[in-house]
Amino acid sequence: MNQVGRDIPRLEVRAKVTGRADYTHHLRLPGMLYGKVFRSTVPHGRIRSIDTQAARTLPGVHRVVTGEDIRKLIAEPYYGPAFHDQPILALDKVRHVGEPVAVVLASDPHVAEQGVQLIAAEYDELPAVYDELEAMTPEVLVHEVLRPAGTFADLKHIQGRKGTNIALDYHLRRGDTDAAMAQADRVFEHTFKTQQCLHLPLEPHVAIAEPGDERLTIYTSNQTPSFVRIEIARLFGWPENRVRVKIPYLGGGFGAKVYVKLEALVAALSMLTRRPVKIALTMEEVFYMITKHPTTFRIKSGVDKAGRVVARSCQVYWNGGAYADIGPRVTQKSGFTAAGPYDIDNISIDSYSLYTNRTPAGALRGFGVPQLVWAYESHTDLIARELGTDPVQFRRKNILRNGRPQASGTVLHDAAIAEVLEALAARMDWNKPFDRGDGGTLRRGRGIAIGFKASISPTTSVAVVNVAADGSITLYKSTVDMGQGSDTAFAQIVGEVLDVTAESVRVVAPDTDVTPYDMGTLGSRSLYHMGNAVRLAAEDARAKLRALAAEAGLPEGTNYPAAEIFKKRYGMQAGNVIGTASFVPSYKSPDVQTGLSDNVTPFWMVGGAGAEVEVDTETGHVRILRLVNAADCGKPINPGVARTQLSGAAIMQLGFTMSEAMLLDGGQVTNASLADYKIPGIGDIPPMQNELVSAEQHSGPFGAKGLGESGTFGVSPAIANAIHDATGVRIMELPITAEAVLRALRTAAGRPLDDE
Amino acid sequence: VIPFEMVEPTSLQEAIALLDPDEPTIRAVAGGTALMLMMKAGVFQPTRLICLHRIEPEHARIAVNTAGELRIGAMATLSELEKDANVAARLPVLARALRRLSNPRVRNVARVGGALAHGDPHMDLPPVLAALGARVTIRGPKAERELPLERLYAGYYETVLEKNELITAVTVPERAGRKAAYMKVTSRVADDWPALGVAVSFALAGGAMRDPIVVVSAATEKVTRMASAEKALHGAAPDDATLARAGEAAAAEAAILADAHGSAAYKRELLRVYVRRAVRQALADDAREVRR
Repeated sequence: MNQVGRDIPRLEVRAKVTGRADYTHHLRLPGMLYGKVFRSTVPHGRIRSIDTQAARTLPGVHRVVTGEDIRKLIAEPYYGPAFHDQPILALDKVRHVGEPVAVVLASDPHVAEQGVQLIAAEYDELPAVYDELEAMTPEVLVHEVLRPAGTFADLKHIQGRKGTNIALDYHLRRGDTDAAMAQADRVFEHTFKTQQCLHLPLEPHVAIAEPGDERLTIYTSNQTPSFVRIEIARLFGWPENRVRVKIPYLGGGFGAKVYVKLEALVAALSMLTRRPVKIALTMEEVFYMITKHPTTFRIKSGVDKAGRVVARSCQVYWNGGAYADIGPRVTQKSGFTAAGPYDIDNISIDSYSLYTNRTPAGALRGFGVPQLVWAYESHTDLIARELGTDPVQFRRKNILRNGRPQASGTVLHDAAIAEVLEALAARMDWNKPFDRGDGGTLRRGRGIAIGFKASISPTTSVAVVNVAADGSITLYKSTVDMGQGSDTAFAQIVGEVLDVTAESVRVVAPDTDVTPYDMGTLGSRSLYHMGNAVRLAAEDARAKLRALAAEAGLPEGTNYPAAEIFKKRYGMQAGNVIGTASFVPSYKSPDVQTGLSDNVTPFWMVGGAGAEVEVDTETGHVRILRLVNAADCGKPINPGVARTQLSGAAIMQLGFTMSEAMLLDGGQVTNASLADYKIPGIGDIPPMQNELVSAEQHSGPFGAKGLGESGTFGVSPAIANAIHDATGVRIMELPITAEAVLRALRTAAGRPLDDE
Repeated sequence: VIPFEMVEPTSLQEAIALLDPDEPTIRAVAGGTALMLMMKAGVFQPTRLICLHRIEPEHARIAVNTAGELRIGAMATLSELEKDANVAARLPVLARALRRLSNPRVRNVARVGGALAHGDPHMDLPPVLAALGARVTIRGPKAERELPLERLYAGYYETVLEKNELITAVTVPERAGRKAAYMKVTSRVADDWPALGVAVSFALAGGAMRDPIVVVSAATEKVTRMASAEKALHGAAPDDATLARAGEAAAAEAAILADAHGSAAYKRELLRVYVRRAVRQALADDAREVRR
């Protein structure tokens, strides 16, 4: 039976809905201490003193640890994927409100919590910078010294700009933008902004470190087990094999749990105390861990008389917060797609990763692409309206097609951009008349938007397929299944190659003592990279089984079951066959001067959305009557799971579009709780249609490619475009709250609301 | 949570005696849905909690009294109130409001008395009951007193209850033929604390509105009646001009606060619009709830 293309439920659903699935939160170890974190109350300052006396003497407190204690254990206790800029606990300076300054350890978490209340720190406050544009000037320096990590092959050149807040600046120059802009018939320029928001997996960050004899085991809710192992080993100066990282299921990740989060802290604490140490964040603390980049995007386009975009210039400013985390990679990887999925001969892009005194920003379901699509699809829609052209028709005329070079110079293959656009137009009945309402206070409109994304590259995945003597099969891989269904998809791939049902394949959870290297579960890379590795490993096992059959004297071309081959070869149920493979696609780093590369990504993700809205012009409330999502995921391995990935991503982006925003006052988050940071509830979910367009990724496993993020791309601009269509007003900044809409309506009507 | 003492008295009298007029860390707990959150957040650290679960069951009764009024015992859960046959028949506006109040898990545990005594202006029951002309019964160690519901509130999270007083019941008068509506206006997501609550009730005689009550909540520091809006409605037909006037009057009168739900200017606009919509909703009466 074909396993690929089967619509089976995710393999772990029964364990999850019956409460049997393991999560790091459940784990308790003998002698375990709980750590609670004392955090900075100032956004930027030099640490003058930390008074831990009262906390240390609180009955039940085992120990209080500060950054200086950690410096005695690790001389350079800084971590990070792009820069080693983040101290395990604050050293010398604090750079954002909520930064960990000290930890109280106790057997009872409530005692530890009480101990935290007894710590007092004094700071010499420094001026702070919060805005990404202000951070472009060096008046406030978040970091005096920059510490490039040199981790990634593609980011080896990054040094940061000394004496600035710029962690990375990426520049792309294609054609002659200035000249083309000067010759253009019309030029349009707009500035769009996005807000700071966060991933909010319902399982907050949690990690446990257990010290052993010259080794350390870390149990953690993390998307990058191999990276954590390497980074912890580096901090201690150990070989990798002294660190074991184990990861059960995750209660969601969305990019919040990539690279080191709590792992270095619990590792250091457990080495200092020689006890297992657990730190589990509260939902409120998550607001000080990792966020999504706020951005300012200035975009300018020149259009010729025929309505073709002939030039586009993009300046994108990424507000990375106090520590670079993965921001530089977001700045570059998403940066080169900033001009959108359009065929434009003259493009210039400048993309800046900036330090500010906010909670650090990382990658959130889309790796920066949703921020870009928000700007370029709002901009594209505005141009179409100004030109009096139908927005779909305008996009059709300018769309980037397979066989044509993308801005980077890489020629597009297997990217169903035009197909996604057409699927949206068809599902939206774009050519039919649209009911705009009765002309009263409720106004209806519709809009569409499309976006694309390059996969993170170059990255490596390794898989091991083990066939036991009874023919049962186990897959070892370090991809983290955090709800996206990767275990199921890989089981289907193994089943397809080795002719067993997906349900019979055992998929081992990441455990770096056991499961092989993987770069990380992020950026929708797993199905393509690990999927290819799994397929190759299964094929390797199949070849070895055939060799074993030949050794056993079985005639070639027969289909003896595996169990009989083993029995024949070893005389009993014994032995096993191990298939292995690693997969790393080819890649060429963009030229540092021009930003160009003819091989910038192994595959492209494409997604779009169409929205019909109804705006209450008296209150600004926007009701989404219908949301259509379409994406290219190649040939889906599991169409049912793929469609829920599409709708799940769209719903998540709906929150970032309509309601979610971290509110800051003097660097302090004023709505750090689910009561005041509002994610969509069931009452906010519009009727949705989710379509996987017919496509194939020829280099992907069985024609498939990643999809986890594609549903986020078009949602925000599609809704803003629909609101414009309904009311004639344009929202330039996320989120599109009811108040923002009413203010725009009233300003347009010449009766602006006052600011109080 | 730091250890504290938990007491479970078996009578109301005993419960009141266990309270201390001068000790804010001793508090009564009924459903605990608000108090537990405050304790988790570290905003409230009790030394003693007086758990009311075991007091006489009569304090949870919902029944029509001899005067024909609906008397709701303070220990009734919000679910019991939501599903009560008398409430459904006599006060459909209340049943409707309850269906959008928090979620079933909270409604199954939260008690009417606690929902009134908490004093958070964003709550739904106080404005609805105030618009229905409800009175609240308060018992102290010596005496019992009764107040119009809106007079229970002194400010943001502040009531006029002494620390050794408990709400024992809320009584809703029989007001046959009166129209009523409550508009819960959220500004961020559908299921949220309201940015603005508007509750109205009025009689209708010869096409004119009589004895209107207009109550604002959530946007103001406490549940507040809007005298100027009531005046604008009283004796007038519910036409566009009258409703616009009443909206203007309320917007001018209400002391609106800015918060994470929106600016004061925005909420004032909402109030202007929703006074009108509330009256229209009341006239539509049992018809389907107007959205948002």
